Amino acid sequence: MRGKVAVVGYGETPYDRARVERGQPRLTAEEYASWAMDLALKNAGLSKSDFDGQGLGVAGTIYPHAEIWSAEVVQNLGITPKMIIRADQGGASAASLLTQSALAINAGIVDMFLCIVADAPLSMPTASASGARTWRYENDYMLPFGMMGPNSIFAFIMRRHMHQYGTKREHTGKIAVTQRYHASMNPVAYLKAPMTMDEYLSSRVIADPIHLLDCCISVNGGLAFILASKEKAKQITDKPVYLMGFGECDNYMHGSKNRPDVTYLGIVKAAPDAYQMAGIKPQDASFVEIYDDYTIAVLMQLEDLGFCKKGEGGKFVEQTDISVNGQLPVNTHGGQLSAGQAGIGGGCSHIVEAVRQLREEAGQRQVKDPKIGIVTAIGGLAYGVNLVHNIVMVFGKEV
Amino acid sequence: MSASSETAEQYWSWTKPEITSLNKPFWDGLKRRELLIQRCKKCGEHQWYARANCIHCGSRELEWVKSSGKGKIYSYTIINMVVGNSPIFNKELPYAVALVELDEGPRMYAMMTDCYLSDVKIDAPVEVVFKDVASDLTIPMFRPAKSQ
Ligand SMILES: [Zn+2]
Repeated sequence: MRGKVAVVGYGETPYDRARVERGQPRLTAEEYASWAMDLALKNAGLSKSDFDGQGLGVAGTIYPHAEIWSAEVVQNLGITPKMIIRADQGGASAASLLTQSALAINAGIVDMFLCIVADAPLSMPTASASGARTWRYENDYMLPFGMMGPNSIFAFIMRRHMHQYGTKREHTGKIAVTQRYHASMNPVAYLKAPMTMDEYLSSRVIADPIHLLDCCISVNGGLAFILASKEKAKQITDKPVYLMGFGECDNYMHGSKNRPDVTYLGIVKAAPDAYQMAGIKPQDASFVEIYDDYTIAVLMQLEDLGFCKKGEGGKFVEQTDISVNGQLPVNTHGGQLSAGQAGIGGGCSHIVEAVRQLREEAGQRQVKDPKIGIVTAIGGLAYGVNLVHNIVMVFGKEV
Repeated sequence: MSASSETAEQYWSWTKPEITSLNKPFWDGLKRRELLIQRCKKCGEHQWYARANCIHCGSRELEWVKSSGKGKIYSYTIINMVVGNSPIFNKELPYAVALVELDEGPRMYAMMTDCYLSDVKIDAPVEVVFKDVASDLTIPMFRPAKSQ
């Protein structure tokens, strides 16, 4: 699979929170899907009709809560594809669309795929309207027991990481502050105002030790990318970004099933597979785009990706310049912590940013002479563990 | 959380668990002041939450057995804000939720009660207490263990 498929185009709409009183638009997921497709097609120099007889990838949405969503999307866009793939792995949905569509292209079923993730969780008609996050184990065994969704689950994980390894809020704070700096150079980011370490440390407690500035910012938005076979890619663009390798691990428990060590994600299993396929080691990366629903998730993944030993993420972040000008640029777009998490589509921003960086189209926040980018995706909060779905992807400019 | 004469439907809105053929023994057990978890008849391992097969060996031969209700805190959080849950929890703020490691093996999320927030620590021994949060709903919570 190494270098057999390439990303040849991408689209990313601006993010907003449907605050009409502040002049923000209140759009539907349908509108974001259409907008993202338009941006990706223009970016690739293709037209919608080029995807008749090709592949379409569709991720789910928090809002609207629609089960047979791909039937809506394909009709709304007006495409007649040869096949549709649909992802429901939460934050890992976009990455799953990418790996699945790469497999379909490599199998010769189609030679292009248009993948669209768009979500409008902030456009729910009332505050009490329910989104699509309806895991039965959460409804039945977590919410009645006083849990408060992802914030509370990550609080347990962060507490444990601090307890086992002495990780400090100054460590996770450096991630938040650096990503905000990156977001300040990202035109589509929702939060661009500079953040200081003091602001991070004193932000309000949500579920201790998780504070407000440890959490991603929920937004509306749409993203899309276009994949093509190596041969087709060369006809479309002179700047293809190749998928060099990928690895996936679902429902990983480090140690025992009943008593896993929650400081390990399945990334620790997915990463070696991705590196082996790509023929790289983590230190070859020019930058990393790490799925960041919470600051501690970034720190743990730096460990699981092999940039340092388990438990040394805090020290690693302290001693490493993780800005775009540093030794290891992390989340160069500002990530979901600052640019925004467009519902289920949030994880697509890391893929789009990696492609943008490797094509050297990242403007002010461009990493110098990038060759290899590593992208992670995690999704689906498990009961008593951490994240169910874990995907690592390696992208490169040349095969 | 105080006892209530209201039903779960009236008070807890969508936070109310769905009682199903799979988990009914657990909820019924709580009303009898018993904390039930599943045990596999084939491999002997325990599990929580309710599943239709053993997550260890795959067997569908599961039985509900009484947990000692004793364990220790693996991790915890102090909830300061209600997000995506029933507003009923607002009157409890701030409160602790622990991930309790039961002596039988599995871990269980549960609210801490009958203690100060400063009593909630990793590795602290805890024991179950049963709280009737609605006229038709009993929830297991934990408190610092009185005797070991
Ligand atoms: Zn078994």
